[in-house]
Amino acid sequence: MNRFLSILFQSSLLLILAFIALPLVVVFAASVSPTAVISFNPSEWTMKWFGELTSSRWLDPFLLSVKLATIVTFLSGVLGLLAAYAVAYRKCPGHEAIMAFLLSPLAVPQIVKGLAIVLFLSSFGFYHLLGTAGLVMAHVVLTLPFVVRMIAGAMYNFDRRLDQAARILGATAFQRIRFILLPIIKPGLFSGMTFAFILSFNNIPLSVFLVRPGETTLPITVINHMEYSLDPVLAAVNVASLAFILAAIFLFERIGGFSTQIHGGSK
Amino acid sequence: MSSIDIELVAVTKAYGANRVVDNVSLAIPTGEFVSILGPSGCGKTTTLNMIAGFAVPSTGDIRIRGKSQKDVPPEKRGIGMVFQNYALFPHMTIAENVGFGLKMKGRPAVEIQETVHNALRRVHLDGFERRYPKELSGGQQQRTALARAIAPEPSLLLLDEPLSNLDLKLREAMRVELKDIQEQLGMTFVYVTHDQDEAMAMSDRIVVMQHGVIAQAGRPVDIYEQPGSSFVADFIGKSNLLPIKSIRGDASGWSISVGSAGLVLTADAPDGIEKSAARYCCIRPEAIRLTVSEEDRSTPMNGLKGRLIRIVNLGAYLDCFIMLEDGSVLKSLVRSTRLPALAVNQTVFLSIEPVAVQILTH
Repeated sequence: MNRFLSILFQSSLLLILAFIALPLVVVFAASVSPTAVISFNPSEWTMKWFGELTSSRWLDPFLLSVKLATIVTFLSGVLGLLAAYAVAYRKCPGHEAIMAFLLSPLAVPQIVKGLAIVLFLSSFGFYHLLGTAGLVMAHVVLTLPFVVRMIAGAMYNFDRRLDQAARILGATAFQRIRFILLPIIKPGLFSGMTFAFILSFNNIPLSVFLVRPGETTLPITVINHMEYSLDPVLAAVNVASLAFILAAIFLFERIGGFSTQIHGGSK
Repeated sequence: MSSIDIELVAVTKAYGANRVVDNVSLAIPTGEFVSILGPSGCGKTTTLNMIAGFAVPSTGDIRIRGKSQKDVPPEKRGIGMVFQNYALFPHMTIAENVGFGLKMKGRPAVEIQETVHNALRRVHLDGFERRYPKELSGGQQQRTALARAIAPEPSLLLLDEPLSNLDLKLREAMRVELKDIQEQLGMTFVYVTHDQDEAMAMSDRIVVMQHGVIAQAGRPVDIYEQPGSSFVADFIGKSNLLPIKSIRGDASGWSISVGSAGLVLTADAPDGIEKSAARYCCIRPEAIRLTVSEEDRSTPMNGLKGRLIRIVNLGAYLDCFIMLEDGSVLKSLVRSTRLPALAVNQTVFLSIEPVAVQILTH
């Protein structure tokens, strides 16, 4: 019976993995397809669609998305850390209500948030903030709850006796944050920041309200392009984006070491 | 040994109406090993936390080396502490853990390295510098925590049940080591525990706490031989506690009627206890001599007869439970070598020296 269950679990796991991976395989195949129509023919393949990505038509939106995601990741990391410290660690007065408020954007659909932000900016005369500044604001609103949640989780789990131990050894409040709290919650901080980076880099529903003509993010450029043609360059863009995101996750993991937090690996 | 290292002056810690620590006063001389002993919830850990500065007394004052600690935060008190769960920093190596206190004080790296090395050697952990805490056994983590606490050379070390997570063998070995280290360094140790064996084995002085107040404080031998209350008698070691019904006699000796059916014990008249105040008498099990025939009884005083109802083998000793004719049960401790001569349900004879019958007022 145990053996049967174990085979059942393993095959379900394989099916789930296949379900996640197979569409990616199709996209990957399309990206090397020689014909202008997306097709799949393994005997012939080409890298020409990837060559097109170096044109400013694709490179500029990519660079804007990278810049945006980097600023958003940094900002939501700093703000999330400060917010989580006050709310989850120091448990400031009303910390439960403040935490609920900080997480509340999660419950608002992105379309509604995007519309609300653009209406706010236009009705209060902040037209000039449309574009990068507005995108940063909107994306931080989107990513902050994720970052706060991850850091707060790490802080709620933090063993306060470590702080007491450092304190009795003569560490000041600043030293305890620098040498004890931050290194221990670092995996939470970096996994939150990874979420922020991915959410910002891939975002469509908020960005679509806030981009300026001629200055669009990569996902918006893809959407715009799709309205006119469905050629393999889109597949190439997606494959390149995926590779970039995976590289970013790998980098964050190397710095933050959050995989230990997820599967409990040892140092 | 002369100067006072820590002094608690009428310290009370109350949460609402609940006085966790109630008007505790205590002076601990430099270099003394003091155990605060009591069951869970007696206020011993709160007392320790107040000395450390993690809890603030509601009223009263704590002085360290004569200086009031009212506005001194824990990081400025210059004391060391060993925590029950060790509280080692998981992201630092053993050397970094042990050197943390010195690093925070801004000592030069060379000095830190040497002090860490010495501290680790003192706890027999040399060679473990580069390991991480989770790679160490419980006993090794415990030693690391101790090394970390003593490395900055505080004059005072607080220990919060540091051995309670170790197995028995290791615990007994660590008792000896802790005592050795304390004597070598001449540090004042304040040791919180609920384990009376630990307290007896290491302490110069034991402070027994109950319901937030000090039930009794004194040398281990005094507390064991002259418990001040039925609580202390029961908590420290094993004891036979018998409620007193009435007392006759004078300064030369008392004749005490205990139990339900006319059991009378002779006792030495205690100093400073009125007959009317006496409530219990306490007899240690090892003070009750057990014989199988009436003639072997060494003393004619307090000769009792009963039936052996249970024998619990403790290894070197036997715990014998004897039911007397009136139905009350006494415990007697005898050497295991006598096991072949003893049988359950056999009639046995007990004798108790009058000096071993302790009179308690509460």
